[in-house]
Amino acid sequence: MRLSVALLALALVACGSPKPPLVISELEVTQPIPGRNMSAGFFILTNNTDEVISITGVDSPQFTRVEIHETTVTDGVSRMRELDALQVPAQGSVVLERGGKHLMLMQAQDIGDSVTLQFVSGDAPVLSVDYVFPKDN
Amino acid sequence: MSPRNIIVAMALAIALAAGVFVAARNQAPVAPTTALALPAPKPVPAFSLLNQFGEPVDQSVFEGQWDLVFFGFTHCPDICPATLQVLATAKQVLVEQGHETLPRIVLVSVDPERDSPEILGQYIDYFGDGNLGLTGTLEEIRKLTGGLGIYFEKQPGDDENYSVDHSTAVLVIDPDGGFHSVFSGSHVVDNFVHDLPILMGDR
Repeated sequence: MRLSVALLALALVACGSPKPPLVISELEVTQPIPGRNMSAGFFILTNNTDEVISITGVDSPQFTRVEIHETTVTDGVSRMRELDALQVPAQGSVVLERGGKHLMLMQAQDIGDSVTLQFVSGDAPVLSVDYVFPKDN
Repeated sequence: MSPRNIIVAMALAIALAAGVFVAARNQAPVAPTTALALPAPKPVPAFSLLNQFGEPVDQSVFEGQWDLVFFGFTHCPDICPATLQVLATAKQVLVEQGHETLPRIVLVSVDPERDSPEILGQYIDYFGDGNLGLTGTLEEIRKLTGGLGIYFEKQPGDDENYSVDHSTAVLVIDPDGGFHSVFSGSHVVDNFVHDLPILMGDR
């Protein structure tokens, strides 16, 4: 009896544990090409809330400047534009990938083995993540 | 028609059909699937630019080997490195398949303000040995791009932070310095691996 109560309590805790509001997956930060001091960031952001989350900025201690960009290829011409914000739809995802939306990380400082990205919505930090470069690079 | 003549006619018909079938099989795989070849190669327009070593070069730099030419810039974080990586990987696959005719990879800068020969050299070396980078004055770059139907336009921004819109096509230039064919659309390694030996006559 005591065991089943404990199990029930555990199950309730598991059900009740809220998903994190914002989850990042498939993160990749490119290594700066020799002679260049910039990188690109690609990932998927998933919003588990019922409200749109608007990412208005990304900071990184390893880069002086981080911008959200979108590349479009229309009629064989590649165009890159800065976005004011990255809208992550309610209960949905936004994909940042090559040839599409991406982070442009500029003016690299001392980059060691990893890069930290801090996502900001308005003035509030909403997510912080570390990316460790693969060893073979 | 006698029964004998009917048999001869049937035999001839079968032989003809077999011949057509064999001929069709032999000809089927020679066409490129992605690249579009010009009806006749078109000479590359005259220009005067610098290679990655700062040496002056003109249109004759395209003579003597097959070239895969991409127009981009080193501050491009996305399309340019991805395309150059596709070209480098395709070339490596051709090496592994035993092809002897291999293209040189050429990056023509559409951002000469920031792409000095030295910066361009560091950049293209990252994608393998033997690559060529071309930069110079805007006017001379436009002579080359204009004659090849390549578009580019610098976009507004501050001194060090601006983008350049540019065509994503990869041009194939033959060893006589003639614009031979073009790869458009999204660039995929397999497309280059399939088409290049056909275009270069090294199947």
